[in-house]
Amino acid sequence: MHFLTSFAAESALVPSRVQMAFTLAYHVILVPLGVAFPAYTLLMEGIGIYKKDPVAIRIARRWSVVMAVQFAVGAVTGTILSFEFGILWPRLMGRFGAALGMGFAIEGLAFFLEAIFIGIYLYGWTRLRPRTHFMLGLALPPAGVLGTISVLAANSFMNTPRGITLGSSGQVVSVDVLGALFTPALAYEFWHFLIATYIAAGFLVASIYAVAWLRGRRDHYQRLAFAIPFTIAAILTPAEIIVGDLSARALVADQPAKFAAMEVTWKTRSHNPEVIGGLLNDSGQVNFGISIPSFDSILIGLSPDSVAPGLTSVAANARPTIAEANLTHLAFDAMVGLGSAGVALTVWYFLVLLFRRRLPQSRWFYRAASLAGVGSYAAVETGWVTTEVGRQPWIVYNLMRVSDAVTGASGAFVWSMLSVLIVVYATMAVIAITLLMKLAGRWHREDAGQAPTAPEEGAPYGPRSEIVSARRPRRAKQGMSWIFQSLITAVVAIFGLGVLIVLVIALSFLGLGAVARRSIRGLRRSSSS
Amino acid sequence: MLLLTITAYSVAGGVDYGAGIWDLLAGGGARADRARALIDHAMAPVWEANNVWLVLAIVLCWTGFPLLFQSVFSSLYPLFAFALLGLILRGAFFAFRHLDDSPRTQRPLSVVFGLSSLLAPFFFAAALGAIASGQVAVGGPNIPVWQACISPMSISFGLVSVAATAFIGASFLVGDARRFGMPDMVDYFRRRAVIATVALIVVGTIALIAVGLENSRLFTGMLTGPGAPFAIATVALTPVVGFLHLRGIFRWFRVLSVVVVGSLVIAWGLAQSPYLLPWQLTIAQAGAPLGTEVLLLVVTFCVLVVVLPSLGLLVYFDQRGALGTPEA
Repeated sequence: MHFLTSFAAESALVPSRVQMAFTLAYHVILVPLGVAFPAYTLLMEGIGIYKKDPVAIRIARRWSVVMAVQFAVGAVTGTILSFEFGILWPRLMGRFGAALGMGFAIEGLAFFLEAIFIGIYLYGWTRLRPRTHFMLGLALPPAGVLGTISVLAANSFMNTPRGITLGSSGQVVSVDVLGALFTPALAYEFWHFLIATYIAAGFLVASIYAVAWLRGRRDHYQRLAFAIPFTIAAILTPAEIIVGDLSARALVADQPAKFAAMEVTWKTRSHNPEVIGGLLNDSGQVNFGISIPSFDSILIGLSPDSVAPGLTSVAANARPTIAEANLTHLAFDAMVGLGSAGVALTVWYFLVLLFRRRLPQSRWFYRAASLAGVGSYAAVETGWVTTEVGRQPWIVYNLMRVSDAVTGASGAFVWSMLSVLIVVYATMAVIAITLLMKLAGRWHREDAGQAPTAPEEGAPYGPRSEIVSARRPRRAKQGMSWIFQSLITAVVAIFGLGVLIVLVIALSFLGLGAVARRSIRGLRRSSSS
Repeated sequence: MLLLTITAYSVAGGVDYGAGIWDLLAGGGARADRARALIDHAMAPVWEANNVWLVLAIVLCWTGFPLLFQSVFSSLYPLFAFALLGLILRGAFFAFRHLDDSPRTQRPLSVVFGLSSLLAPFFFAAALGAIASGQVAVGGPNIPVWQACISPMSISFGLVSVAATAFIGASFLVGDARRFGMPDMVDYFRRRAVIATVALIVVGTIALIAVGLENSRLFTGMLTGPGAPFAIATVALTPVVGFLHLRGIFRWFRVLSVVVVGSLVIAWGLAQSPYLLPWQLTIAQAGAPLGTEVLLLVVTFCVLVVVLPSLGLLVYFDQRGALGTPEA
């Protein structure tokens, strides 16, 4: 009884953090496919149209269904997240909603657009001319990018809050819209994450066809579906390492405590070793792990004399705890390790491509490739752990603590909500996976010679299958007139142009140049201090 | 500044009502178990729009009125947790039922779907009722949370919402049944629409009494203030719709059902304006700084200019799909 009462009176801080971590980790799984998969599907469709290849069209059509299924699950988990901001962190939104919320408002718009255009894309397979259909689909990748920018704008605000004026009691009195949206961290977070989604989606899709190769399927269909996503992901992987390196360096200036946690550096010093693995203990020593002398300093400022910030440079109550620092460090190492493995795989792939002028034939290559999907997802997750745990104990860096933002609800309430959510999420996962397996089985049988069906029929966002009832038979109408189709194409072209202009403006704010500038500034600061 | 805030409010409110109406439409559909095929068919294009509207409404609320958002969620989180549960179960299970083709699993999926459709409108409206009762304190709860959540007003608002949901859902399904040429279903849903009308009148009366007892200022605002025309519209038109269904007159009934439910919400909104939390927090006090409001207006404008036409296009495709068979 005593246990129960103390349980009920417990603060909601721990369960709220666990719940947020759980639901976000789940949502992050769905994000890469949501953002990047439409681009791969469109590329495949474009190849199909351009080369008049029915196989490519068939692949694109099937991918569009997978896209819709996972977008439906993502819509649900996204809705849950938006409620959790209110249920778990009401004071965060109350105090910073005016600034933090703007990114989410734009994301609401992007999400809306994406939902509608996925619907149009699925409907359009049988109702539009191929070119019109392709043009309409072109709205999807920019919508995904818009969503990515806006959500990361909110996250960057939490990491590097700017553009707000605080009143005497800490409330936000005025907001500079552009300043609060385009905070310093957005420049690197955006590029790092956007490229990550394209890599993860590409490797994941390719890994499925790598497994098919291992099982003996080696036709045009398999080659196409493997090579296109794999090649793009492979090209992007080295670029991601470079952007990641710039991001980490920018952290030296922006969030020294996070950087120190990532490298488990206790005291600010030059000639700082790079520790791989290893755990920090309470007295500031690192146990286990491999230490490369001075390498961290070299990475920061290209010279062993560069100064690396240590955890103790920040007051004990304003930096991650030892456990949090260790988690940040291990997650960071895992991400970098997985990224390096990705680069190795990429080099292997391009060497074979370059010297043999064909796709790799080695079983070991396809074994590695079939792990690349899971591996890149693990890298996305660990990268997200790095940035979130490394910011602790702040929810808005240096302005608001996580413990000041948490709900007044009892711990018991949040724990029970969490357990219900776990059940719901597990059910969703099981059902979605069963569904995809079923689809895969159906497509497999079709390829083995059965009559094909329209894959998108009955999918979420897809056209409705015909109702089974005593309907009056109606005459099937002809396809839309070409005038109407051209009209739609024109409208979408104008829309696409508009989005493109907005994106170009946004991207010029976020140019890679800005990332470079920031990291140089970090470099100067570390060498001058 | 005030003007901008009011504009933002009316837009956010409009979205909110939109979400409400979609929700009602979908939720009511779930009650009728036997006509599952028709419901499935009728709802397919709208169910996902639900979530999107709702997310948009929440996002606009926390950005435009952060303090309101904080106050409401701090006091009423249990209601929102249950509403959320209903919402996600409904969305997920509708999709899965839609895709699943084995009869063995259809039954449990439908049961969960139906139950969750009751949860969402009840708890959302209960939250509105709790706000209207004036029990939500600015910033955080000043009375035990359960007291703020459970009051005659919150419960009766929830019941009204369920009845109104059933009412408008049945009304629309009559229309769909006619469109798809299913005469048996027309009668089936007509009867249900009449029953729902009676239920709506009964719980509506109870709710009005609850409002009168608990928050007489809101009561007078509803009946004599700016909300009066809308309140009267609801009271007068509800029996009219019921009558139309009873006599099988298939004209205007859908528009009128929308008017009934829409004016019900507007009557409440106007009765407590300019307060967001009755008698404590006004629109002007809760509004976000100017810059944010401007951005919200831009976003709202984009929704109107870009999203609505494309939504129209999608609905157009869908209607075509219902008419002609795909020619592939």
